[in-house]
Amino acid sequence: MKLLDITLQIYRYKQGEQPHYDTFTVQVEDTAHVIDAIDKVWAEHDHTLTFRRACHHSSCGSCALRINGVEKLPCITRFSEVGDGNIPLRIEPLRNFPIVSDLVVDVSGFFQRMSASDMSITRYAESTLPLSVDNLDEIVQPRAVVLPDNLTHFNRFENCIECGICMSACPTMAVDNKFMGPAGLAAIYCALQKTDDADEKAHLLALVDGEHGIWRCHSAFECTEACPQAVDPAGKIMALRREVTANRFKKVGRS
Amino acid sequence: MSTPHVIVIGAGSTGSATAHDLALRGLRVTVIERGEVASGTTGRNHCLLHSGGRYCITDQESAIECIEENMTIRKIMPDLLELNDGLFVAITEEDLTFKERFLEACAACHIPARDVPVKHALEMEPFLNPKTLAAIQIPDGVFEPFRFCLAFLATARLHGAVVRRYELVTEIISSGKSVTGVKVRDYRTGKIETLGADLVINAAGPWAEDVAAMAGVRVPVQPTPGVMVTLDCRLNNMVLNRLNKPSDGDIVVPQRATCTIGTTSWKVKDPDLITIPPEHIEKMIVQGEQLMPIVRKIPMRARMAVARPLIVKDASDERNVSRTFECFDHAYDGVDGFVTISGGKTTTSRAMAERVTDIVCDKLGIEAECRTREVPLASYRLFYQGGQQ
Amino acid sequence: MATLEQPKVRRAARWFDVRHRKLGMWAYALNRISGIGLVVYLYLHLVVLSTLSQGPGAWDAFVSLARQPYFLLLDVILLAGILIHGLNGLRIALTSFDVGVKRQKVLFSALMLVALVALSAAALKIFGG
Repeated sequence: MKLLDITLQIYRYKQGEQPHYDTFTVQVEDTAHVIDAIDKVWAEHDHTLTFRRACHHSSCGSCALRINGVEKLPCITRFSEVGDGNIPLRIEPLRNFPIVSDLVVDVSGFFQRMSASDMSITRYAESTLPLSVDNLDEIVQPRAVVLPDNLTHFNRFENCIECGICMSACPTMAVDNKFMGPAGLAAIYCALQKTDDADEKAHLLALVDGEHGIWRCHSAFECTEACPQAVDPAGKIMALRREVTANRFKKVGRS
Repeated sequence: MSTPHVIVIGAGSTGSATAHDLALRGLRVTVIERGEVASGTTGRNHCLLHSGGRYCITDQESAIECIEENMTIRKIMPDLLELNDGLFVAITEEDLTFKERFLEACAACHIPARDVPVKHALEMEPFLNPKTLAAIQIPDGVFEPFRFCLAFLATARLHGAVVRRYELVTEIISSGKSVTGVKVRDYRTGKIETLGADLVINAAGPWAEDVAAMAGVRVPVQPTPGVMVTLDCRLNNMVLNRLNKPSDGDIVVPQRATCTIGTTSWKVKDPDLITIPPEHIEKMIVQGEQLMPIVRKIPMRARMAVARPLIVKDASDERNVSRTFECFDHAYDGVDGFVTISGGKTTTSRAMAERVTDIVCDKLGIEAECRTREVPLASYRLFYQGGQQ
Repeated sequence: MATLEQPKVRRAARWFDVRHRKLGMWAYALNRISGIGLVVYLYLHLVVLSTLSQGPGAWDAFVSLARQPYFLLLDVILLAGILIHGLNGLRIALTSFDVGVKRQKVLFSALMLVALVALSAAALKIFGG
């Protein structure tokens, strides 16, 4: 373990002032993560620096921001991924969100979109374990999943941690204020998988089948590239298109 | 008589659950938090909804409180939990000697525990150490501390509470022997504002000592961080605990597509400047390996540490109302209108909130029943809507 | 509380900001640029065609202009736009109905390779023949 001198150029904005960048240098262990450097800047240099964070292990989604222009979760970003101390780190808030102060963005619009589907953040799972452990040839399935006697199913949190990274990476989000966005649309897809009720399904499909829903996506696929949690919102949007279109044909077929 | 106004300092699990209870009982509540919700101790906790198994042998009062709260949390936030139960696992002969005591203690504390045949345990948990000698299933659960707090605060807001983030309490204002309000600095705008209150609750965790000092009272806090290591792959469906007395790295809590091994304990002076000792990280891997040998081969996704607020206890301290957490009514120190609440665990934060709210209502002459056991929490997503920034 | 938001025009510039972005964003930006280009071309094309109504002299004047090398270059650029927009459009049509989504990057590379080959062949013909 060695110590790194990390220089951060942090976006600053306070009400009534012009946005600008402040430069700080802190010393952190090379095994630390970028959030630790930002935290140190706050602790050692400037208590007026405002930033969001809570869990430090990619479950809350609150710390999402841009590091050298790329959307990341600083809590799981190692310095080796961003230059290892040899280049300054430009730290900026997410794009496409109104900025409240420094790195803190207004997520009210985002959560409104996530609320539209009322998708539960947990879901049933046959097993919570991976099919294989990357690079290790340890296969868990297809051996039968065995449940404890008192449970009929396992359950787990959805992959999506509502971090907003996909919304920041999406070029359509930049311009359409009403676009549901990759996260909102992906949530509706997930909600659709969790219900058998025909009316509920119809309602969810109707939510996305609009001007600011799935048809507003113009296939940049940046959401899926940027997502730190393997949600694949682009894939879900395309799957929704297939469902909506199939549904329409069925309706025409019936009438 | 107008509704009393209570200011709660800190939006961790204690502050959030307290704001919820106060608001439900009809009081006006303002929560002041210097960062994001749960950005202090609560955010970086192990996410374990305790069944109480960990405490049933050494601290029965704690264990009973845990299992009761476990069941209550399942009722009020059913969609915010992974409920796959947990296992206490004996790996060595020494662990095995705890088995009988553990089962008896669980029964005594009303913690549903069942002895699972080892073969069955290994089928339920394919990565579990094949040398497992015994496995006992208990109702552990997994929560997310951030959304846990947001759910309480969202419900509190629906009942009129105001939550002010990115504001630091810079002064506690007194008039004579009573606290009458606080001065806050808004980090977003730089503005300073004075807020009046009928009572101020100090729920600032490791910073409770600093806050108490502003009111001229002493709450000695020893910030005691612990490290947790999150792996890049989920290896267990259920929470895995080591069957033995509590020790470092004896729990692996799964969540989503990861699992977290924890924890350790060391003392620091300043809770804002914590350096993680690398040997603690290695210890987590070594301990985790005992439960699941494959742990060593999995890359690390994250590591976190944050100070637990351990109150330096004075055995003869009469101000203390509970053995499972610390709650001090500073009227006994000559400063009225100021109450500190600290310690406990997120699993029992609703119970802590109930107790401190009972005290606060008593002091303010409010007669209102606690309803937090029954009222289901509103959607955590509502916290950030309706004018909250 | 007042928050900071960029004006819409600056935000629209993001359509073309491929810095730090992956292939899908390149496709997005190229499609928009070629799309705008083709619309401009369509307008110009109609203007050119309107010279037909001004008699054979006007049309012949245009045709001799169209034979100049720089104009042929514009033709090649136009063809590039058509190929990029058309072939990428095929990719978008496929992925839009959940076909080939997981391989969208490979699809883009493959189609652009086809475009390049077709364009090169056409350019040789245009300048050679």
